[in-house]
Amino acid sequence: MTYKIDRRDLLKVSGAMVAGLAAPTILRAQTSTIKVGVIEPLTGNLAYNGTQSAAGAKFAAEAINAAGGIKSMGGRKIELVIVDAQSRPESAAAGVDTLVQAGACAFTGATASALGLASSQAAAKYNLAQVFSIGTAETVVSRGLPNVFRFTPGVNKCTSVALENLKLLNQGAGNVVKTAAIVHEDGPFGSNMAKILAEQLPKQGIEVVETISHPTPQRDFSNIALRVKASKADILIPSNYLNEYTLMARALNQQRVELKAIYSILGGAASNIKFVRENNEVAQYVMDCNHWYDPTKDESKALAAKVAEAKLDMTYDIMVSYATIQVIADALERGASDDRQKMIEALAASTFDKSIMPYGATKFVNGDNVNSQPVNTQIRGDKIELVFPKQYASAEAVFPIPAKK
Amino acid sequence: MKSQSIGQIALAAAAVAYLIGVYFASSPVWMGFTINALVIAVIAMSWNITGGFGGLSSFGHAALFGTGAYASAVLQVNYGVSAWIGFAAGILAGAAMGAFIGALAFRYGLRGSYFALVTLAFAEVLRICASSFAFTGGGSGLQLKLAPGLANLQFADRTVVYTALLVVVAAVMALTALIKYSRFGAYLIAVRENEDAARALGIDTYRIKVQAMAISGAFGGLAGVLYLQLWLFIDSTVVYGSGISIEALIGPIIGGAGTVWGPLLGTLGLHLLGEGAKHLLPNAPGLNFVLYAVVLICALRFLPQGLVGLAGKIGASKKKKESGDA
Repeated sequence: MTYKIDRRDLLKVSGAMVAGLAAPTILRAQTSTIKVGVIEPLTGNLAYNGTQSAAGAKFAAEAINAAGGIKSMGGRKIELVIVDAQSRPESAAAGVDTLVQAGACAFTGATASALGLASSQAAAKYNLAQVFSIGTAETVVSRGLPNVFRFTPGVNKCTSVALENLKLLNQGAGNVVKTAAIVHEDGPFGSNMAKILAEQLPKQGIEVVETISHPTPQRDFSNIALRVKASKADILIPSNYLNEYTLMARALNQQRVELKAIYSILGGAASNIKFVRENNEVAQYVMDCNHWYDPTKDESKALAAKVAEAKLDMTYDIMVSYATIQVIADALERGASDDRQKMIEALAASTFDKSIMPYGATKFVNGDNVNSQPVNTQIRGDKIELVFPKQYASAEAVFPIPAKK
Repeated sequence: MKSQSIGQIALAAAAVAYLIGVYFASSPVWMGFTINALVIAVIAMSWNITGGFGGLSSFGHAALFGTGAYASAVLQVNYGVSAWIGFAAGILAGAAMGAFIGALAFRYGLRGSYFALVTLAFAEVLRICASSFAFTGGGSGLQLKLAPGLANLQFADRTVVYTALLVVVAAVMALTALIKYSRFGAYLIAVRENEDAARALGIDTYRIKVQAMAISGAFGGLAGVLYLQLWLFIDSTVVYGSGISIEALIGPIIGGAGTVWGPLLGTLGLHLLGEGAKHLLPNAPGLNFVLYAVVLICALRFLPQGLVGLAGKIGASKKKKESGDA
């Protein structure tokens, strides 16, 4: 028995074969992911914050992908490329190479200004956009780099808002706070903050009666607590990291230091639920002016549930990292392209107003989001409540601290 | 000058082949990673002068690294001085700091662990000072403006950066070889082997040790300036932190202290190991540091003369096996 293949059959079979062979390629093209970078310190002294930030980015990517991916790009999903900055600037900068190799269209990071400064500088050479999750140093946005976008507020805005809020709180309480003690770590963050406070507090009629610096790490805070007690300051303004903040608060409690308020600006522990959980008594009424999400939004509630499910601490690192991925996803949606230059253009024109943060519509001026703002939180019971601004508040501020019975 | 064993030549050839191979690597990761490793290799070579040849183990080479970086940064940022002058000033400042620490420590006969602790203390004091004074940028550190160009010693093309770094590393290695095989080098090795005997033979050991610290300081300052010009940002923790001091000594120990190639081989080897671990186990951040520690422990236990010493045993004559020279 012989088969005769005519020209028409041959064309049909060939066509089917070509379609069959090409199918995976076409399918791949439709479903290939969009690479978004995350450079965070997963090891080293900033590992806790960096790991939290990376987790925040993952939650955001999951949520965006679950909602159908980037719709303007055929529902392509976001795939995160996470790189460890090792808490060192040169590693953060080297991480940019890894992102470029992986084909990332933009990235977020890097918890500390020193890391972000290095990574964004390296990224500038590749025309790769960096949306800063946290980078409070003003030098982040003063370099004129077109690839830099800081979504969250810098130290100047945080300090001015915090002092303005303190003034309002104090006025509301009949100006009970007249003297202040500043305890700060001797690194970049604490030293700068202490300097600004020493200049600004007297303008509000608050005299700085004691300024104490300490190294990081520092374990014994007894003497510092005694000095604060001896200064008879009404308010304590600390600027230090998580562990030191926690130990300082314990020492203050042990030495029975009576204060009318503990008021932090970008406080290391004051907005950290771990501090609240593990040191509940000493944490009560501690106030902070920091990055924080809008707890009233549905997406914020969903994030809080996911974080709890993953047994992670809900910290601002998670919140801001989540929000920066939202900003990048919005730029992808509007630009409908993962081309690096187009991403920079889309980010520069961003008017995104649906992030979980309590910000207005995003507006980057020289890379700085002028509509970002810090908020005031206060530890109450086993929760961190948002107390300022009023439209986002989940509780009324208690100021000064009620006298102990 | 003694001839090298086949193993040592093969090891050096492998390093050279890798460094040339980076030019042809399709991924930018390798070049970026090797640039980092080369800067660290320069500070490792700095440590090797005192710790390797002179037996003066320092735990605070960050003092020299940071001083070089800060000297250049302060001049450029605060006084608008040219990057080239800043470059030279950084090397000189490193040398001056090395000579100062050496003169002070050796004047009072500090040796061994006491010398190591004094250098550590110097680095720490300098770190605190740099984070306290306004002219060093206080806690915020100092940042150079991104302005690529030869006049600013900044290069947009990384191949140029890499080539320049290779030239610098080759020059430092050539100087190290020159020192090693000079009369000064012989005096320094004599101090390491038996300082009292060296003094009895008429060697001015104090002068030799201070000179060694000055040369080491110049190399350390050079490494600091390279770091600054590459990343354009320094702060006290970054350049005076203990991390730099540890990296300065770990490379020569693994590669072979008191050898010309040891610091480069050790630093490259360790960085390759760390990078490899990162790629093999991307979901286990920090594992590269565990590997670092394991390799360091094994090297200290089984390779007292480092990789160069091990390679020296391969293809060497019986006589040369005893020297482990490179």
